[in-house]
Formats: sequence, structure tokens, C-alpha cells
Amino acid sequence: MTSIDALPQAPFLAGSVVRTGKQADVIDGIKPRVVVEPRTSEELASILASASRERLTVVFRGGGTRLGWGRIPQPIDLLISTRALNRVLAHEHADLTATVEAGATLDELAGTLGQHRQWLPLDRTGEAATVGGAIATNDSGPLRHRFGTPRDLLIGVTLATTDGRLVKAGGSVVKNVAGYDLGKLVSGSFGTLAAIVSATFKLLPMPAAWHTLSAAFDTADDTARAAAAVNDSQLEPVSLEVRTARSGRDAATYRLLVRFGTSPAAASAQVEQARALVGAGEIIEGDAEASLWRRYQAHTSSSAGTIVTLNWLPAMLARVLALLDEIAQTGASVELAARAGIGAGQLRLDGSMDWQAAAVARLRGQSDLLRHVTIRDAPPAVKQAVDAWGPAGAAAAIGAAVKRALDPAGILNAARGPI
Amino acid sequence: MPIRERVVSELERICGPGAVVREPLQLLTYECDALPHMRATPDLVVLPQSAAEVHQIVRLCAREGIPFVARGHGTGLSGGALPVPGGIVIGLARLNRVLEIDIPSRRVTVEPGVTNLDITKHVAPYGYYYAPDPSSQQVCSIGGNVAENSGGAHCLKYGFTVHHVLALEAVMADGEIVHLDSAIAGAPGPDLVGLIVGSEGTLAVVTRVTVRILRKPERVRTLLAAFDSIGAAGTAVSEIIAAGIVPAAVEMMDALAIEAAEAAVHPNFPAADAVLIVELDGNAAEVEELFPVVEAVCRRAGATSIEIARDDAQRARIWRGRKAAFAAMGRVSPNYYVQDGVVPRTKLPEVLERIRRLEARCGLRIANVFHAGDGNLHPLICYDGKVPGQADRAVEAAGEILTYCVEAGGSITGEHGVGLDKVDFMSRMFTEDDLEVMRRVRDAIDPRRLCNPGKLFPTPRLCGEVPGPYREHPIEKAGLAERF
Ligand SMILES: Cc1cc2nc3c(=O)[nH]c(=O)nc-3n(C[C@H](O)[C@H](O)[C@H](O)COP(=O)(O)OP(=O)(O)OC[C@H]3O[C@@H](n4cnc5c(N)ncnc54)[C@H](O)[C@@H]3O)c2cc1C
Repeated sequence: MTSIDALPQAPFLAGSVVRTGKQADVIDGIKPRVVVEPRTSEELASILASASRERLTVVFRGGGTRLGWGRIPQPIDLLISTRALNRVLAHEHADLTATVEAGATLDELAGTLGQHRQWLPLDRTGEAATVGGAIATNDSGPLRHRFGTPRDLLIGVTLATTDGRLVKAGGSVVKNVAGYDLGKLVSGSFGTLAAIVSATFKLLPMPAAWHTLSAAFDTADDTARAAAAVNDSQLEPVSLEVRTARSGRDAATYRLLVRFGTSPAAASAQVEQARALVGAGEIIEGDAEASLWRRYQAHTSSSAGTIVTLNWLPAMLARVLALLDEIAQTGASVELAARAGIGAGQLRLDGSMDWQAAAVARLRGQSDLLRHVTIRDAPPAVKQAVDAWGPAGAAAAIGAAVKRALDPAGILNAARGPI
Repeated sequence: MPIRERVVSELERICGPGAVVREPLQLLTYECDALPHMRATPDLVVLPQSAAEVHQIVRLCAREGIPFVARGHGTGLSGGALPVPGGIVIGLARLNRVLEIDIPSRRVTVEPGVTNLDITKHVAPYGYYYAPDPSSQQVCSIGGNVAENSGGAHCLKYGFTVHHVLALEAVMADGEIVHLDSAIAGAPGPDLVGLIVGSEGTLAVVTRVTVRILRKPERVRTLLAAFDSIGAAGTAVSEIIAAGIVPAAVEMMDALAIEAAEAAVHPNFPAADAVLIVELDGNAAEVEELFPVVEAVCRRAGATSIEIARDDAQRARIWRGRKAAFAAMGRVSPNYYVQDGVVPRTKLPEVLERIRRLEARCGLRIANVFHAGDGNLHPLICYDGKVPGQADRAVEAAGEILTYCVEAGGSITGEHGVGLDKVDFMSRMFTEDDLEVMRRVRDAIDPRRLCNPGKLFPTPRLCGEVPGPYREHPIEKAGLAERF
């Protein structure tokens, strides 16, 4: 066994960039003992095998944009950074596919794809967000309305397992049902099952034009009605967002954003139709449109307070908005960015620690209305008071069995992840 | 090992005596799926009427260590629903209720025996539809679709079954009944629904499915273009994609497939070396803007004729020709084998050329019908089961085509699944390590391998009945039954 103090000199780390954990590496108050940055996937796999043998706890880090998510970790022996695995391995533009290493950022990938006017239609939480992190969290934003979550675009993965194997599932063709889809299994697994080493995605042509309708409303009911009207129409927006914010006694504000990304003629025709349907709103295009969505994204992923994701039946939107309004009246600030057509959103709760924890508990208590109320990011005090993941039901036992099979020593993202 | 009487009476107690099938003649129905060359007689078939009954059956199997195979409507093309020795078949056809239609929240919950098309029929009056549309949609079950992650002509734009399943109720191999939300319904943690969809009935028996439904597109435009070579048609496909257009569907048929479809359903296709069906759908402004581009691309690629559907009736006629293509082969050949392989779209011409050479070498005619947009080939290998050796040669040729697909960087199956038919090909696509990790996942969920054993994974065959090449069944010989 390698003693913890001798860890940086451990033979199995020789060759990989190694340093001791620093303040910048801290997760929820826990400083990793050692940070390693393997330069190849083989190196990563063999580090994992040694870590598993020696029962060293491991957390994977991509860009570090979502590392605060999950429960407070146990002591972390190894923080394995994927940032050196950052190559775009292939961009088969004529086949609309790309294979990329997990540590590449979504921005880096976008740069390559853009050369052929193609894109991977995923929102990103920050400039540093990596491909591996996007899959491991299966995180999504406004584009989910039309394009789904990372798992919907993923067609193949290579994983490094805790016994040091490099294995693949899926492939590089868009249609393929051979074998188990392990790519789906690791989507949302938060680094608890294996390391994602590289991924193949199906791509889309980049839309030529973007137009957004932005409409403000006074009441939750009006907002929900307008969202439902768009959703039930034959318009094909890429995003259908409802945003609400309320701080204590101030009145709540409501906004509907309907975004179209397609050919210029179709985008402008549809945004006009959307305005007619909604009966109000301002049409935004060009640079202003792009920066509106950049701000929107930056806002909802900034980390003050507790950030929770939650889900509901789309038809229940008005009730959800009313509930949030009630919660805000208890004296703090509440902000929701919601996918109205899907029934999912990110909620920010900002107030005292006690209030934040109580608000999460209250949301979980509304199980007839809300499902999967999950804490993404929260101050440690809140995570101590309420569980980050909430009740997992039947999935918990199945997930645990799969985890035991793939990570028998229980070293991966120990105690933090959903399983 | 035959099923013990005690187990039979317990099954009768659970489902009623009428629901346990043991009559040899009745069991024939369950000998195979739509893949004709593999069959095995089940010892016993049980036909539950509710999820609760399925739950009890699987619990009984788990307790007694009896393997079980879920069966939908038996249209599978990889032998996935084939009975296993010493096991029982759980036929789900009687679980055929539509449980909930929620238009405002765009979802429908059904039992697994509901057919794919029935979902669309239930929501069509509201202007909605269920997107995945396998050619077998009138007859295949949604449970089978979930097991196979079925696709259809329109999956190029709309994705496969896995992109549309929001939640499942399933009886796991250990007899637990569970409700699982998929990642697209926001469930945190590993996407277990995404794993179960496409696992070919090896992890669970699905007893309830919630799918999302889509609003019918505002505009649909369809054209049928004829070409005097498959290469020219392939060029047209590449250029449509290069123009940044994602059609709802791009389907190709070659001369032999056209001939068969003409004989069977008279879609009035031109006599050509290849026809291409291209369909655009969506927002009217978008479709009207892009459709002329598609037309121009086809002309530039050398289309000898282009027919544009003027109305729904004409569109339906074009699609009838395509969707009937498999069954239509019966008109030009006594027997045929449907292969299902995938290549990167850009490798289509190269692989089709290899298939042409194979055709010349093996002396069997091979028709090609395929989803050209996503590189999914369906070569149909024609043979005559009455000519000794032909069936075996057909199976061999079909296997060779898979080698071409793998060598081109593709897959051994795009939508029909591995089943029993392709277990031996899995190791051409995956390493022993890849398969080992998949097996571990399976064993974590079904440690005793009771749930559809022998399928999907290349394991040594179980003792007992060995499925072999197709032999005509006595009742077929007597003219009592015809294969679609
Ligand atoms: C003419 C023809 C055209 C076809 N076209 C297409 C096509 O375009 N696209 C396509 O993808 N497929 C196509 N298929 C294949 C087939 O229709 C699909 O695979 C379909 O999903 C099978 O459904 P089924 O109900 O017949 O399943 P079965 O054949 O009964 O079973 C298939 C598999 O599913 C499992 N299974 C069935 N029900 C359940 C359940 N409730 N729980 C767990 N496991 C279950 C079985 O164990 C088996 O492994 C075609 C088949 C034919 C004959």
C-alpha cells in the first residue's frame, strides 16, 4: 500500500503530471491530496487500476465548472484531471459526427465544428465546461427543448474502468443498436462508474439565423397560457423558456423567451407567428440576440445560493409558478429558468442557509407536482441539512448493483454521486 | 429440463388456465419471430393480462430458477424472442391497454402489447403523433420497440425509441417491479431507462411505457427521384446533407427492390437502378425554402425523373412502396434473408460495390433497401429454401456483409438487434474487454441470467435445442400458413 504522504511519489503516478492539492482544488471544503493529469487514456486507465487496488478515493475533474454538484465528498486521495486529454480525434463532417476526448471543452469542440458550419447543440455551464463533464452530469439548458440532453446526441463512448480496461460502447455511426448502450449508463452518473475518456456525437448543421421573441407578463397564469399556446402550435422553436424572479415582498416578474434557429426566412416567419400567438413581445435578432442568451446562461449557472433542478408535467407550469411565488414570499429570493415545453428547470434559492434548506425540503414535499428535485450547487451548510440527490426510488438499488459491478472498491466519487 | 407440473399449476393459478399454452399446435406460433431461419419450440407459453400477473410470473421464475423470454408481437428480425431451452415464453400481447393520454403534457402511457401505430392513432385526432415509425409499425408492439430501440424511416431527424421514452415500469430479473424515469424526464443518476431500452429483453420485462408525442409538422413534402446508378443517388444524398439540410427521411431502393415492390403493392415506381425518397417536414416556411434545394440537388446528381407528391394520397403511395419492400420480396423470391448493418453514410458507395461483387460471387440475388440518410443498409438476400445449400449460402452471404460494415467503421445492427442471430458477430465489433464490461452490467442486474439468456452476448449455446438454418415447417409445407 502506498502511504498517503508518499502518494505523489507513487510509482503508478510516475509520468503523469502530479502535484499536491491546492486551495483552488478544494471541493466543498475538502482539499484533494494529489492532483494528477494523465496525458493518455492508457495512463488514466492504469492509474484507475492502481487506485482501485490501493483503495484510493478518486474524483474526476474536467473544467471544474460543476464540481460543486453532489454531496460533500469524503476525503479525496486523487483528483484526476482530464484536461490533458483534449484532442478532437475526428470530425467527419460529411457524416455529421465527431469524436473528441473527454477533456476538450465544448468551446474547443465548437471551434472545430464551426469550420464546417456544424455544431453540437448543447448549452454549456461555463467556458471551461468539458465534453466529459457534460456527459457525466447530463446537464442541459434552453437548447434541450429541441435537441435534448447530451445523452441524446451521444453515439459512442470510450470508458476507463477501475480494473484498468479501456472499453467502448456504441460506435461512430448515428444508428447502431449493437450491445448495451453504456454511453447512456454513464450519462448522469457523475463519475461514479468509470472515467469517460472520449465520446462520439452526432452533429447538426449550424442554423443560419437566430430570432428570439421576448415577452413580459404580469401573472403566472398568463405566462403559462402563452407558453402552452406556443407549445401546442406547429412552430418549431429551439428554446421555449419561462423565467420568473421574485425577491421577498417585491412583485414577481415573468418572461417568456421563444427562440428560433433555422434558415433566415423560416426564423423570421416563425418569430412573427409566435408574437401573434402570444399577443405581445419584442423580437430580437443579430448580436443582441446572441448576447441575450449568453447573459441568460451566465445568470442561471452563477452560483450564489442553492441551485436546484426540478421537473414537472408541462401542463402544471402555472401551479409550479404559484408555488415558487409562495416560497419567495417567505422572505428571500427565488429565480427560475424553465423549459416550459419539457417541464424542467433550474431554480436558484437565495436566503439564509436555513431558509435555503427549508425551501428544498418544501419542494420535495410537493411530490404530486414536482419530481426529481435535485440540488446542483449549494453551500456546504445546505448540503449538510438536506440530501443533494433526494429520494431515488427503485433506481437506487439498481444503480448500486451496477456501481458494485463496475467499481467494486467504491472509490469513484465516493459518497458524493447519485449512487 | 421440462417445466415441472407444480410450476404449470402455479402459472395457471396466476393467470387462469386459458392463459397457459401447452398444445403443440398452438406452441408453433411461438417457435420463431420474423427471422425465418431460426426456431425453437417452447415448452410453455404464458399469456398474462396485467403487470401484476407478469410480476408474479417473473417472481415464480426467479424462485424456481426458470429462464424466461418476453415476447411482444413476434416481428423481431434477430431471433430475440426465440424460446430458450427449459424456459418459458411470456407473451405480452394481452397487455394492450392505452392507460393515459395527456395531450397538454404531450405524453401517452401504454401497456407493452399496444402496437406502435395505435399510439399515433390515439393522438392523431389532437394533431399529435408518436415519432419512431418502424416499417412494421402496424403490427409490432411498443414493448418490442423498447427492447430493440427500434427506429424507422424518420429517425434521421427524430431519433429512435430511446429518444422518446420518458418512463418505464418493468419487472426486473429478480422479480422486483420498478418505476424508472428516463434522463429525458429529468431523473438524476445513471440513465437506467437508456440502458434498458435496446437491451433486447435481457434485463427486464417491460410492463408499462410512457412515451412523448410530437405535434404533427405543419408541412410535409416528399419526392421520389429515379437514378440510373446507385452511385448517383448516393451523391444526391451526400449533397443534401452537405447543403445543411436534415431531411425527415432519405430512403433508397435498388432495381430488384423496386421490381418486388411494384409486383406487390404497385406504388408506380419508375423502372430505374435506384430510387430515392426524400421527405422534408416541419415549419412551412422552412420546408418551402429547402425543398427546391433538394430537388435541384437531385437533378444535378443526374436524376432521370422526379415525382413530387401533390397530396397525402400520393405520399402514402410512395411510402407504401418503401414500407412494403421487405414483404414484397416474396414476389420475386421464394425465401429471403433480411440483413441489417450500418456504415458511415460516406462509405455507402464503397460498401454497396462490395455487396454487388458478393452477389456475383455467391450466385444469390441481393436487393438493397436502406435508410440512406443514416447509412443503415437492409440487403435482402434471395434464396430458395427448396434448393439444397441455398439457405446456408444466404446466411453466409449475410454474414459477409456484416464484415464489410464493420470494416467500414459501422455496426452489425442499426435497428433489428443482435438477438440470437448475431451473437457470433458481436466479437467482430467489440473486444473481449468491451463485452466483459457489458456482461458485468448484465450480471449486476440479472446475476442468474434468467432474463432472455443466450441472446445479445456471445456465450456458448445452452444445451438442448440448437437453432439451425431455416427448414420449412410441416404446416407451411402443407400450405396452411404463409410467412408474411
Ligand atoms: C416487415 C418488417 C419490417 C420491420 N421494419 C423495422 C423498421 O423499420 N425498424 C425497426 O427498428 N425494426 C423493424 N422491424 C423489426 C421489428 O418489427 C422490431 O424489432 C419490433 O420492435 C419488434 O417488436 P415485437 O413486438 O414484434 O417484438 P418481438 O419480436 O416479440 O420481440 C423482440 C425482442 O423484444 C423483447 N421484448 C418484447 N417485448 C418485451 C417487453 N415487454 N419487455 C422486455 N422485452 C421485450 C423480446 O424478448 C425480444 O428480444 C421490422 C420487422 C418486420 C417483420
